[in-house]
Amino acid sequence: MYKLLVVDDEHDVCDFVKTFFKERGFHVFTALNGDEALSITKRERPEMVLLDIKMKGMDGLAILKHIKEFDRTIRIIMISALNDQEKMYEAYKLGAVEYITKPLTLDYLEEAVGKNLKVKL
Amino acid sequence: MSTHKKVPSWGKLQGWFVEKLMDHQGGISPVNNTLLNSEFPKDRPLQKQDYQAFLEAASRTMIRFKKPEHLIKMIVRTIDEQLKIMHTAVLLYKSEIASYILIDSKGTSGLKIPVGFVRLNGDSPLINIFTEKDSFFISETGILNYDDIICGLRNRDTLELQPDLYDKLLAIKKQMDLLKAVLCVPCYFKKDLLGILVLGEKINGEKFSREEMGFFVTLANDAAMAIANAQLIESLQQRVEEIKELYVKEHRIFMNTALALAAAIDARDPYTYGHTERVTGYCLAVAKELVGVPEVQGYKNFMETLTISASLHDVGKVGIPDYILSKNGRLTPEEFEEIKKHSIIGETILGPIKELSDVAKEVRHHQECYDGSGYPDGLAGNDIPLISRIISVTDAFDAMTSNRPYRKKRAPAEALKELKAKSGTQFDPLVVSAFLLAYQKGNVLGGQESSVLQSY
Repeated sequence: MYKLLVVDDEHDVCDFVKTFFKERGFHVFTALNGDEALSITKRERPEMVLLDIKMKGMDGLAILKHIKEFDRTIRIIMISALNDQEKMYEAYKLGAVEYITKPLTLDYLEEAVGKNLKVKL
Repeated sequence: MSTHKKVPSWGKLQGWFVEKLMDHQGGISPVNNTLLNSEFPKDRPLQKQDYQAFLEAASRTMIRFKKPEHLIKMIVRTIDEQLKIMHTAVLLYKSEIASYILIDSKGTSGLKIPVGFVRLNGDSPLINIFTEKDSFFISETGILNYDDIICGLRNRDTLELQPDLYDKLLAIKKQMDLLKAVLCVPCYFKKDLLGILVLGEKINGEKFSREEMGFFVTLANDAAMAIANAQLIESLQQRVEEIKELYVKEHRIFMNTALALAAAIDARDPYTYGHTERVTGYCLAVAKELVGVPEVQGYKNFMETLTISASLHDVGKVGIPDYILSKNGRLTPEEFEEIKKHSIIGETILGPIKELSDVAKEVRHHQECYDGSGYPDGLAGNDIPLISRIISVTDAFDAMTSNRPYRKKRAPAEALKELKAKSGTQFDPLVVSAFLLAYQKGNVLGGQESSVLQSY
């Protein structure tokens, strides 16, 4: 069973995405901030992280950097409400496998997760 | 299951709705308060006729919502709080991204869909089923029912005879599952599908009654009307803003062009360098003292016409030969006759510009004298336009207080004396006294005048 970590400072988002992927056979963890995200990453070593880019405190790009420093094989998908080319470029440079802009389709999110789990890093 | 038992909850819903409509939330106009109060006596339970009247009142009120999102949030909140449904959501068409996106979702925890996580494009199966003609699975009320989709999938004929339909139903089921939808109620305006009201299961597991479905359809249609209205108003406001911006921009270009022209005149003649700018500053100082004078009211935009006229009063000098303009010494009578043409040349230059036709007239007459002894037309008194009379005074003051090739500049006090002496003959007494007042207040040589131009 794949381990998936969802990082978003909104409870609703965490709950919803958790339910969605749990129903699809994932073992899902959620984190509301950067510190939580990093400690869960170290403890559970998830294969995949869904990371919101805009968060209070440590923002998505910083978390991305820390996770990659810890283990570069963890696949990270960035989720963003803004279509910001610069942030997107930065995220890919830091090693994100995908950058999804909201409003998104869940089909696409599911597909992206599935596809990228197969990619060898 | 008895429909009787539901009547109280309907009354409660209506009451709640009425209350919400009246507490002025979400941009609701208070106009309907009296209407609602008179239509719904509080001392008896709401009857079915009240319900009809209520819907009518509600739809009238909805039209007053300025932002469609407010209306949608209120509808979702109403249904969620009153009908005890696991999940309620509204999808709305956004033309910018050509997709239906989630605007609001409410429900028991874990079921609420966060905004930004649903996006259906125009050809997704769940949208298609509403937009294509003769959809078999849409009931006569227009509602898409999850049960009907399941029935279609369970029907063996579907799979064997219409495999395409089977796939489509499967795709619709998948999307309804994602939305936890039991009912999908379309919101149409004319023939356009503006949005979809998504309703999940009732918490108590009961099915929706016909009456409830009827309510949803009416609500959805009224909401569609309100949304269409709000969108129309929004796009209209946007257009108005755009036009305003365009106007401001054009106006700025126009003003700057006028000022550039003025600067070009100044640059040609080293002896009058800065003259135009100073005269314009003096004119604005005088104008301050003339506030309330009836003649000022006669102008469509006095300050603007004054600024441009003052800036361009010498524009006609471009038509005067250089040797005359920069002559070192007194002018011969012939040369002076030549110089005098500059006010007519100025008018000729500016006249064809529609926006400057008022200005052209002021430029033509800025060398007229109050007693009729000026040029080019020998106008007298108030036949000379007011702005021309103002420029006449300020122009003379600046000429006297500046060096000329043939004479030294005079002190301001001396120039003022000269203005007073010629008040009523060369100059309009009203303008001269306004100039003196402005001078006393320090508005003429107070250093402010140089910045006046920059504010344009």
